[in-house]
Amino acid sequence: MPVDMDTMIEAIDVNKEYRRSGAIIRALADVNVRIKSGEFVIIQGPTGCGKSTLLNVLSGLDFPDSGKIIFDGENIARSTEDRLARIRRMKVGFVFQDFNLISTFTALENVESVLWPTVLRASEIENRGINALRDVNLLDRKDHYPVQMSGGEKQKCGLARAIIHRPRVILADEPTGNLDPQSEKEIMDLLKKINKESDTTVVVVTHREKLTSYADKIVQMKDGRVINVK
Amino acid sequence: MFRMFKKGVLLILREKRTFIIFMLIYTILIFLTSLFLENSLAGNFGEVSGYLVVIFLFTSLILSLLYAWILVSRKRRDWATLKCIGYTNRNIITIVSGIILFTSLMGLLIVIEILFHYTAIFTYIDTTEISTGLPFILIGLYPVIITTVLFILVQVISIALIYRKVLKVRPIVALKRVGE
Repeated sequence: MPVDMDTMIEAIDVNKEYRRSGAIIRALADVNVRIKSGEFVIIQGPTGCGKSTLLNVLSGLDFPDSGKIIFDGENIARSTEDRLARIRRMKVGFVFQDFNLISTFTALENVESVLWPTVLRASEIENRGINALRDVNLLDRKDHYPVQMSGGEKQKCGLARAIIHRPRVILADEPTGNLDPQSEKEIMDLLKKINKESDTTVVVVTHREKLTSYADKIVQMKDGRVINVK
Repeated sequence: MFRMFKKGVLLILREKRTFIIFMLIYTILIFLTSLFLENSLAGNFGEVSGYLVVIFLFTSLILSLLYAWILVSRKRRDWATLKCIGYTNRNIITIVSGIILFTSLMGLLIVIEILFHYTAIFTYIDTTEISTGLPFILIGLYPVIITTVLFILVQVISIALIYRKVLKVRPIVALKRVGE
């Protein structure tokens, strides 16, 4: 199938089932989604509708039972773990609901950690880390450990970690799920700013309807199916 | 690769309690292995010292496996996060190797430091003509070098054995909610 050059990620006829306590749960049922380069997409739906599973398969963290995931022109549905890790390192930035910062590293080290496996010089990595922290207005906290930061600051640090390697896509799983309204607005504004200024594709999974105002495209899910794209 | 090694060292230096506990156990094991290797090479205590060397090395292997297992299990979420942001299994095993090898090398340095001081003290005491009946050199250089090589080999075996556990850490674990 020819791939549209504008398409960043595409899920084609994706199915995914889980077994839990003997029962089969259909997490994704014949899902077809196309995300264009530079789009701000929100995958929205109630808890348990399959939106996080969709994010997992779109990013190569999980494999679909059937169907294709075309990521930047490459079918990643059956790629090896190492290949997927390299794709994520070069092209994907992750933002987690629980921040997932390493407690024994400072904010700057957490941000820099993405580039440690690369061949970049230490000074270049440090410069990029400082710039990424500056971009999210967290430079004054660069030597602080996660335990010394507020939830909003931790998520800003997570966001800096997601952008340090200038990824083509940022995938965020409930990025404001653990934040107060003020921090939620700051994080979403930052994601929108990154999306606009660097043309980075942003995919946010959320159950909060009010965040849909940030989106160029909204993918609504229910019971493992995409019920609406607008 | 060396950078990953250094980051492993940085990681464990900030986890002082685990580091100190395992470093001290390694110190004791390296000291005892060197001591009984010295006696075995000198033909003292018959076969017993030889058996003890093997027992200490086996204990070291078990200890290294336990250490690696604790590192991988306790930090499972961190390893999963690193996999999410693009670390390969090889990157992670290099960090774990850095932690284990650094801890055992620190144990070795302590043993060498102790042996230097021991030698210096008893050489000084000898000049004061006070008889202690203890040898000037407690353990020679060769047993320490042989012990070092054996210990590094044991560490490498434990790292190879724990590799499967690193492979089993799925990056998706990082996306699970805390406590889930």
